[in-house]
Amino acid sequence: MMIGDNVLEFADRLVTAPAAPAAPEELQLHLVVFNLGREEYAVPIGQVREVVRVTDVTRVPHAPQHIRGVMNLRGRILPVLEVRSRLGLEPAELTQRSRVVVAEIDRRMVGLLVDAVGQVTRLGERSVAAPPEEVRSAGGEAVTGVARLDRRLLILLDLERLLRASGSETAGVPTI
Amino acid sequence: MSAPDNPFASLMADYVGECLPLAEEVVERVIALERLWAAGAEWQETHAPLKGLLHTVKGNSAMMGLAPLQELAHVLEDLVGLLGGEAEGRRAGAALLVRGAGLLTDLIRGATAGPIPEIIPAEFAEEVRAFLQAEQGSREDSQVERRMQEQRQVDRRATRAVGEFGGDGTITTIRVDSHRLDALLEYLGEAMIAQASLRDAARPLLNRRRATDESAAIDQAILGLERTLKRLEGALMETRLLPVSTLFGRFTRQVRDLAHSEARQVRLEVAGGETRLDKTIIDRLGEPLVHLLTNAIVHGIETPEERAAVGKPVEAVISLRAVQRSDRVLLTVSDDGRGLDTDRILVRARALGLAPVSDSPSRAELLALAFLPGLSTAEKVSALSGRGVGLDVVAGSIRDLGGQVSVDSEPGRGTTFTLRLPLTVAVLRSLLVRVDGERYAVPLADVAETVRVGEQTLHQVARQGMMTWRDEIIPVLDGGEALAGARPASRPYCVVLRSSPRPRGLMVDAVLGHQEVVVKALDPTLGRPPAIAATTILGDGRVACILDTARLGEQLTRVA
Repeated sequence: MMIGDNVLEFADRLVTAPAAPAAPEELQLHLVVFNLGREEYAVPIGQVREVVRVTDVTRVPHAPQHIRGVMNLRGRILPVLEVRSRLGLEPAELTQRSRVVVAEIDRRMVGLLVDAVGQVTRLGERSVAAPPEEVRSAGGEAVTGVARLDRRLLILLDLERLLRASGSETAGVPTI
Repeated sequence: MSAPDNPFASLMADYVGECLPLAEEVVERVIALERLWAAGAEWQETHAPLKGLLHTVKGNSAMMGLAPLQELAHVLEDLVGLLGGEAEGRRAGAALLVRGAGLLTDLIRGATAGPIPEIIPAEFAEEVRAFLQAEQGSREDSQVERRMQEQRQVDRRATRAVGEFGGDGTITTIRVDSHRLDALLEYLGEAMIAQASLRDAARPLLNRRRATDESAAIDQAILGLERTLKRLEGALMETRLLPVSTLFGRFTRQVRDLAHSEARQVRLEVAGGETRLDKTIIDRLGEPLVHLLTNAIVHGIETPEERAAVGKPVEAVISLRAVQRSDRVLLTVSDDGRGLDTDRILVRARALGLAPVSDSPSRAELLALAFLPGLSTAEKVSALSGRGVGLDVVAGSIRDLGGQVSVDSEPGRGTTFTLRLPLTVAVLRSLLVRVDGERYAVPLADVAETVRVGEQTLHQVARQGMMTWRDEIIPVLDGGEALAGARPASRPYCVVLRSSPRPRGLMVDAVLGHQEVVVKALDPTLGRPPAIAATTILGDGRVACILDTARLGEQLTRVA
């Protein structure tokens, strides 16, 4: 739960600060927003192919850590990344709102298992602040920034980093 | 899985696809010629097609604008012509011919990778021209005339690119980019999965109603679809089969060159080149076969002096054979060298802590140890075989293709490696089992038997489960423990696996029956988990893992 608490604390500070007026030439970020617990996360829309309901996910023995398994996406086998455990959050039960965000990361298709998917949003680049140090370390460098959107706080994720850190470790092989 | 975007790249791939086999045939023939001329034997038949082969390569190279290759093929053609008439310069000429044909093959093979080097073929062509001039003065006049004639032929060839015409003017042969065949295979796989889903979804419906006209019609339609897809699969597989000679062709020169540099006298005998295998398998078989041939030359075959001393013919024979046995193809690589040293293998295995299961291991068990990592028995590291590649890597790449490799060897008499390969890689006959709620597909070729096991037949020996099977005590592995890291549980069925040196048992909760599954490669994001070979989609749309049973067996070997 580290990330959540720290971010909330940080959010309080951000919200009290006056928002900078958006300059006309400011770069706009186009983001897909999803939920993990109470927190809202955002990833660039350019990397998201689609959002699908969670169908059966088959476990793969000895798969890398945080890979929940594989699912059938219209005849294609899609590995599903457990974003919660990857970010150090407690696992959650699947619900009716659970979704898989199908993303293209480093030319690979990967499904991101999230609690729910919110809206697509635009954000001025300047409203993104660097994440506090504690947040960054908990997210394994995958958190690249935080941004204020009205009274909400978005946590921006870098998908390459999210996947890289999870693919490098493999679960141990049981010995008999 | 799409065709190359660049039309030139696709043309270049076609060019290589057509010319490489021709160039390889040239290599084989000139090596044979060299031998025949040295022996003073009949050579005309071997020589006759060479000009035509080189001529085609030259024409195609010209069409692709590959001037260095065109020039190289041209001088070789002249050289072949000269040596066909003259008897004096043959010795030196034959060596030149072998080198040139090898160079031609290498350059064609590399043509898709980047620009063709110009200096090497140009220098070689110069060398050949000097040789030709020394042998037979100037022939400039006839050269010019021939060149013009050839250009006319090249122009004619350019008009046909995609098809070949039959006697009545209709197109009888079409060349198709192999990527398109791959895509077709993928679509077929999806259609087969869809059919299985349809069948599974309709089953409760058909069972519930007592055969009404509608349900009978649905049933018939599903069965009809299944039959058609089966035929489609057979026909598509057929189009993907290539003769193994396309693969064997390149070995003649490699064996000759390596034998030369290792100071061995070796003859390569090839048989069964017409046996056919799926293109994917052929593509991926080259490397393991090169390793086996290299091993045979460097480690298997004795020096000519050693051979003479033990009364063997000085010239060693390596034979490469292919034969089809029902739905498998057997490839064997045999040599008549010194054989594998099983004593050394055992010593090495003990040193590495990989000792065999029993105290007095059988010869078969000892030989099987040779495939374990770290057991290469090389005495010296040579330029070619010293790449750190052992038999374990060979076995791994054969397993990746759904095949098995075994070895037989007799001290002083030689070694034979046998590769058993499936005809196709796309569809796998498997046994579906269930462990802790997940289904797994076990390749049927790896299954010796499935038995129901009572508590009294299972024993624990030093935490290792053992079972009596056909008068043999075999180790058993708990499916849940091996596949999910779960605690061993009592499971009623044992799948006896024969993919490792000794049979092993895998305990499962249920055996769900035989099923043909469409193999889907493991996604790279999943890494290379041990025990899993690939994935598949079952009739209900869920994904199941296909087990790599040999690697399950390895886990047992290591601890037993």
